[in-house]
Amino acid sequence: MNVQRLGRAFFADPATAAGTIIVAGFLTLALFGPLVAPYSPTAQNVDLIRQPPSPSHLFGTDRLGRDLFSRIVYGARDMLALAGGGTALAVIFGTLIGVSVAYLGGWLEELVFRLFDGLLAMPALLLALLLLGAVGPSRVSVLLVIVVVYTPIVARVARSVVLTLKPRGFIEAARMRDERLSYVLWRELLPLVAPTLAVEAALRFSYAIFLVASLGFLGVGVQPPNPDWGLMVLEARNEFALAPWSLYVPAAAIALLVIGVNLMAEGVRRAIGES
Amino acid sequence: MNPSDERLHVLQMARSEVLAGRMSRRAFLRLGLALGLSAGATALVACGSATPSPEPTAAPAPTQSGPTGRLRVASEIPVQLDPAFASSDAEILILNHVYDYLVDIDAGNNVIPRLAREWTMSDDGLRYRLTLADGVYFHDGSPLTAADVVWTFNRLRDRSLQLPTADLYANIADITADGENAVVFTLTTPNPFFLYDLSDNHALVLRAGVTNPATAFNGTGPFKVVEYRTENRIDLAAHQAYFQAGKPAIANLEIIFFADQAAAVDALRGGQVDLVLRMPTPLFQTLQQTAGIVTVQTPTNGFDLVRLRADRTPGNQPDVIRALKLATDRQAIFRQVKAGLGAVGRDSPIGPLFSAYYSEETPIPPRDPAAARALLAAAGYPNGLKLDLHVPDSGDRPDLAVVLKEQWAEAGIDINVIVEPESVYYGDNGWLEVDLGITGWGSRPVPQFYLDVMLVSGAVWNESHFSDAEFDALAATARTTLDEAERVRAYREIQRILIERGPIIIPYFFAQLSAHREGLRGYVAKAFPGRTDLAVIAV
Repeated sequence: MNVQRLGRAFFADPATAAGTIIVAGFLTLALFGPLVAPYSPTAQNVDLIRQPPSPSHLFGTDRLGRDLFSRIVYGARDMLALAGGGTALAVIFGTLIGVSVAYLGGWLEELVFRLFDGLLAMPALLLALLLLGAVGPSRVSVLLVIVVVYTPIVARVARSVVLTLKPRGFIEAARMRDERLSYVLWRELLPLVAPTLAVEAALRFSYAIFLVASLGFLGVGVQPPNPDWGLMVLEARNEFALAPWSLYVPAAAIALLVIGVNLMAEGVRRAIGES
Repeated sequence: MNPSDERLHVLQMARSEVLAGRMSRRAFLRLGLALGLSAGATALVACGSATPSPEPTAAPAPTQSGPTGRLRVASEIPVQLDPAFASSDAEILILNHVYDYLVDIDAGNNVIPRLAREWTMSDDGLRYRLTLADGVYFHDGSPLTAADVVWTFNRLRDRSLQLPTADLYANIADITADGENAVVFTLTTPNPFFLYDLSDNHALVLRAGVTNPATAFNGTGPFKVVEYRTENRIDLAAHQAYFQAGKPAIANLEIIFFADQAAAVDALRGGQVDLVLRMPTPLFQTLQQTAGIVTVQTPTNGFDLVRLRADRTPGNQPDVIRALKLATDRQAIFRQVKAGLGAVGRDSPIGPLFSAYYSEETPIPPRDPAAARALLAAAGYPNGLKLDLHVPDSGDRPDLAVVLKEQWAEAGIDINVIVEPESVYYGDNGWLEVDLGITGWGSRPVPQFYLDVMLVSGAVWNESHFSDAEFDALAATARTTLDEAERVRAYREIQRILIERGPIIIPYFFAQLSAHREGLRGYVAKAFPGRTDLAVIAV
């Protein structure tokens, strides 16, 4: 695959470029949060409760007098770390399991994928709630939940590609050459599975953002006073009429990041297809 | 002039208008019907009769002055409708209208008659004789007797049934019927608050021998259950034979269940319900700006309790307790968490509404994070203290936890807030086990309840595991003395002890926040919303 051609195809579309800029913007906020945020995300000011947006508080303040802009900036760190980290781990584990088990086949494949089918039979959010109920709410738990929820999905996608490649001649030739298993899996199969997984990873990332936000909104994800965007929406729900900005700001942040990631995912899919 | 005289007076004035040609006879008849008089009675007035006589065939039909209209009340979802086990506002609200208490508590925390129309206490304070009201009938038509009261209270104190009231009524030596309409309670030791105990939320009088109290709904109360749809609504109709004159004022009562208080408030704004009995502070503030809605805030004795277990490290070190108190700014919490609605607390459950018992003699030390840090160092925590703070997800408690975390951080106390659903927080008695927690305590008409179940050594809900001999002795004095001045002194000393060394912080007493649509008459908010008297409301 020609990387230059892939890059050109990716950035040729303005929507993809916009998505990339949005995601890059959030990444910048996440990486340089302490330099960008004017206040601590948890600092309260009893005299500045529910202040509307102003030059000193760009996104206004919430019911406890906390600066919403600072909370959004720091919240981007949590969101990208949890959704991005969880997705990356799910893709790694899903790929390892999916490629190797699908190639080996037999009773192991039956066992692993029937187990995954069982997990996939449950809606992702329900499964996440069940897992969080068992391990308790924390950042690590949310990360773990994303990995458990998305690993079977990635593994299924990887398996479907491997099953189409397995009967092909070049795999047969590798076997005839008595190549090691690791060579067949990672040198022969993985490069051909990777493009599909890249699209899948981008999609999983956007779903993971929703999942993290949903868990925060349901109060079972990241705990207060951490500036989790979903939690911020939950906390602002009852005071929409008093301080609408405290609801709009985190909701807009979630929507914008998901749109950005989706546009990027579409760009990846299209670029791979074209190249 | 009573209401029926008033209606007649209006009608007679209208008759003059008809005779003078300024009003049509059709409009006159419509007015009569609107005033609740029958067409026949209105016609009689029109014909010049001063007093409308009953219609010949009207014997069992609803009277002209009977209950009218429909009241729709939003409520949380009830779970347990056996009066002996019910506890939530939603449950008590329903049961309070299907059944009756012997005595009731008014909005001013005074004991008032209900099924018992009068009572006497013996000089030694050990014998209470209550006389029942006349003409009280259960919804199945059977009359209330003293035997029903005896059966009800014997059930409530039966230890084999493991009812939550067994401890409350452990002081009762004997309950006997004195004829058909009087009951005598004999106590083992004097209890000046015994009448308040008789009005405990669970103490609704059942028909003797009822086998399925959770579903029978055969009470003497002002409303009969028409239909109960689990997790949806309960429809009730006026009990026509109710013994209290003028009650209920409405013909139909619909209690509609909402899982979410924001949805209940939206229903009020949208006209789907008439009354919401409680709500979080921000929703109340929102309704204050809404046209057509009347908001009502009532001060209560209810509070949120921040407590540290005092029976093990680190709470067993007095300096740690003092450090937490010094690191807390109660005034700021009151403003941030409660928006100034209610009252600032002083680390004691004896709040300002308990007027004579409440005292500000012992000052609360002003917030001093540096002094708190020094106390922690002296207690062996020179690098600060790290604690998990467990908090139920209800009300404004998560916000209280977040504000405390910020305030205590300045004193080197690092709090990890763990917000849990109420079912988890209270489940398996976890709330009694954790080191640091926040618990909501509902309003009670007398302070002794809080001391007896929450703070005396070994009390059933002593979540802080506080044990102090001086405190216990003072609580016992307040519980048993018939000398009011002695009780006042005991309560004041108790407040001093709790401020100085109690492992508890009470940052505020909350207000009861409710709202109704304009046009509702007679609504009086109660500190415990479930005890609101909906039978007096007219629409």
